[in-house]
Amino acid sequence: MAYELSNYRSNPGGVAVRERPRRPPIIDIEENKPAMAIELTDIAKRFGSFTALDHVDLYTRDGEFLALLGPSGSGKTTLLRIIAGLELADSGTLQFKGQDLLRRSARDRRIGLVFQHYALFRHMTVFDNVAFGLRVKKRRERPSKAAIEERVSRLLRLVQLDRLAERYPGQLSGGQRQRVALARALAVEPELLLLDEPFGALDAKVRKELRRWLRQLHDEMGLTSIFVTHDQEEALELADRVVVMNEGRIEQVGTPTEVYDNPATPFVYQFIGNSNRFECQVIDGHISIAGHVVGASGEGLPNGPALAFVRPHDFDIRSAKGGLGVPAVIRHLFAAGTLLRIELQLAATDEIVEVEVDRTHPNPDLLPGRPVMLSPRTVKVFPSPRLITAQSGPPPEL
Amino acid sequence: MQSAASSAALRNAITEPAAVRWLVSLAGLGFLVLFLVMPLIAVFVEALRQGIGPYLAAVVDPDALAAVRLTLTVAAIAVPLNLIFGLAAAWAISKFEFTGKSILITLIDLPFSVSPVVSGLVYVLLYGAHGWFGPWLKAHDIQLIFAVPGLVLATMFVTFPFVARELIPLMQQQGTEDEEAALVLGAGGWNTFLHVTLPNVKWGLLYGVLLCNARAMGEFGAVSVVSGHIRGLTNTMPLHVEILYNEYDFVGAFAVASLLALLALVTLVSKSLLEWRFSRELAALGH
Repeated sequence: MAYELSNYRSNPGGVAVRERPRRPPIIDIEENKPAMAIELTDIAKRFGSFTALDHVDLYTRDGEFLALLGPSGSGKTTLLRIIAGLELADSGTLQFKGQDLLRRSARDRRIGLVFQHYALFRHMTVFDNVAFGLRVKKRRERPSKAAIEERVSRLLRLVQLDRLAERYPGQLSGGQRQRVALARALAVEPELLLLDEPFGALDAKVRKELRRWLRQLHDEMGLTSIFVTHDQEEALELADRVVVMNEGRIEQVGTPTEVYDNPATPFVYQFIGNSNRFECQVIDGHISIAGHVVGASGEGLPNGPALAFVRPHDFDIRSAKGGLGVPAVIRHLFAAGTLLRIELQLAATDEIVEVEVDRTHPNPDLLPGRPVMLSPRTVKVFPSPRLITAQSGPPPEL
Repeated sequence: MQSAASSAALRNAITEPAAVRWLVSLAGLGFLVLFLVMPLIAVFVEALRQGIGPYLAAVVDPDALAAVRLTLTVAAIAVPLNLIFGLAAAWAISKFEFTGKSILITLIDLPFSVSPVVSGLVYVLLYGAHGWFGPWLKAHDIQLIFAVPGLVLATMFVTFPFVARELIPLMQQQGTEDEEAALVLGAGGWNTFLHVTLPNVKWGLLYGVLLCNARAMGEFGAVSVVSGHIRGLTNTMPLHVEILYNEYDFVGAFAVASLLALLALVTLVSKSLLEWRFSRELAALGH
């Protein structure tokens, strides 16, 4: 059975044992957990033979801005839709402030939902769209016409669209439509705000502006929010905590800094930020890439094959005169802002490596075709059981 | 700037040669004229062959008026009912998943594949005096076949698919996102349908109703079988045209036929207007 890398945890001080695949625990540094808003336990969902969610546990703190980050098919949108009540989980529980939410229909969950493609009612004006949730309330709960008007106007002012109240969605730009969608979701005063890739359909500049604006809005309102995205920059910039998902499982939960600096699994390392991936050997605590020892970050790791990850900005480049490092040849250089991006090819294995160097102290030796020594400053190593089986023959029967 | 000759040469590079363009256009036009325009003109020519007087007399003849009234009545019942059924079927098919969905879609297309005469015969076999329900109906003094209810039933069967077939692809393309948004905002099923689903399909619905109406008024085969041809009672306009023609009353036959032709023209013009309006709205809604 091919052992999934994402199920592996680095195991300092012990021998690399093939573990039964188990749920990676939610890594959380904070000891005290403040009031919890949403608590999901053991949520599983399959579509036919496809496992969308594989026994997921998650909780959100009250007032938190949580990001569900992952590639397509990771299950993040399914999880969001289960919370909203648009999908039914096969198993598991969902509690909101202590109450069982799964029992309630989507109508009664007091949740605001913002879609990637806005889902605005195209035959209603902006005003009517925002007022919709208030107008369809049951008679007893429905506010008066004047109250509805007042609340809608206030919300439109909040999203800076009060001048466009009588326009139709077809007459608005993408960014304006999304703001209407947000105002509409907030009109019914939800206790939880869910956003499904809210800026996915917008162009880059509008996306950045709305991102900032959404974060500001959240800080003002303090509404617990969960948003789904595949854009890691967005997740890292906006969220209080990031939930990295892959193939229906949670790889890691933590603050953006934790997830970036201390990735728990190879998947998280590769998904967040840029990284170079090398197959290496651990020999008595030293890492050896392509036959060259590059440093001592392999302390406590078992001897044998492993995967090493290095961020592009964590390399030192020196002229090829010996010392610790891997020989490489510069292939390509290009400037990007204050950074110089260098593409190199390892002499021994022809692997391509991407390195970023600061341009403020230019090194005249960096020219295409030059041989250099690459020396990583920080290496993240994950012992790799898959490599063990590959080297010792056909996979054993389980 | 390019000379006229070179721009013409450029144009020729991306279009068919003039000869081909003319040939194809003339062929299409000729086909249309031969099979559509000329028969239509012939109807009016024959109807007015003896002048406007006999034409008007034929149109206000009591049996003719009764036929017109019956056609309008049958359409007035069959079309709204098919509107409701078609809307319900399209809504179920496009917004929900359920076992038997593909069977339902196939059944909706059934009236298209069955000969209209067979459609009428089925009703006679079911509800006629010697049919399955014949004795029961007779015992309760209900007359379906050879009476107006039978005409309505047969017309409904034949025109059933029009609304559904128009709405199903439209609603499937629109997806369920708007409805999901309405649900999460707290709207119930009925509110969602009324305020979100229905406005989204209003042009497609009108288009389907127009087609349904045109067919309902013009249906001959199925209605002929269940009608009994009782002049003044169970004759719709198409049936009346047949009777008049069989009696060699050509002016009368073509006069009533001209009314049907006018109906066809009105339907065509409305259809084009809707198409034009529909596409403009689609463009304006940014889809």
